[in-house]
Amino acid sequence: MLTLVIGGSASGKSEFAESLILQAPARPRVYLATMEPFGPEGAARVARHRAMRVEKGFITVERYTDLAGAEVPGGCAALLECMGNLTANELYSPSGAGEDAESAILRGIDRLLARCADLVVVTNEVFTGGQDYAGDTGRYLQVLAAVNRAVAQRADRVAEVACGQVIWYKGAER
Amino acid sequence: MIFVTGPLYSGKRTFARKTWGEVPTVWDVQDLAAGEADPPALADRLAAEYEVVIATEIGGGVVPVEPEVRAAREAAGRLSCLLAERAETVVRVFCGLPLVLKGELP
Repeated sequence: MLTLVIGGSASGKSEFAESLILQAPARPRVYLATMEPFGPEGAARVARHRAMRVEKGFITVERYTDLAGAEVPGGCAALLECMGNLTANELYSPSGAGEDAESAILRGIDRLLARCADLVVVTNEVFTGGQDYAGDTGRYLQVLAAVNRAVAQRADRVAEVACGQVIWYKGAER
Repeated sequence: MIFVTGPLYSGKRTFARKTWGEVPTVWDVQDLAAGEADPPALADRLAAEYEVVIATEIGGGVVPVEPEVRAAREAAGRLSCLLAERAETVVRVFCGLPLVLKGELP
């Protein structure tokens, strides 16, 4: 079962995505962290998300690029957070896939789908703030949008979270 | 007239083509709103000339500093409201998936 959870910053998407994993019967629970923490702000964000997972039995796997190379136990319930960071890393990190970011990410998703019993992917809604983005930002938005559409197409369930409330675009609970 | 909206790169045109076929379609109408003296007349014209009218949502970010960008963004949002009023079907395409806001899909 693949679920895509999308929302704006601080929309409650992480909490909702985590609740989906906690409801899933599969074990172990794996948290696939894609954000490379930079500076105090990054460290604080990581600490906040780690605290949310305390005693919930998550194994944390950090994977900043090359999602297809992530080692996760077969049959697990995995929470991938988040696609916005992974896309930026693949595009701009020295170890990233660069021009092949989109296909590298989707290869990773397909591999995880083959390994995991349940996969929840968290991604970012950053597409309603205008259309006149220059250079790198425009490219980032194009790649992230393409990844979001492709994952939504593969997904059994797609949900947007706004103010902690859930809007189903696809799936049984809609 | 069918009005299709949604965020940037959300798959609006692809969805419209898949759903209603090769019918008279216009997109990026949010760009037509800026400086338009009579927005309701523009909305009437678009509704009369096209079966499918597509606009990108651009009003979700921080209010722009430049007055003309601010005005253009405001006009784009208002035009979308006028189009939605005139449309028998309004669909928001999100990650390639439709959310029907008015009417129904075929």
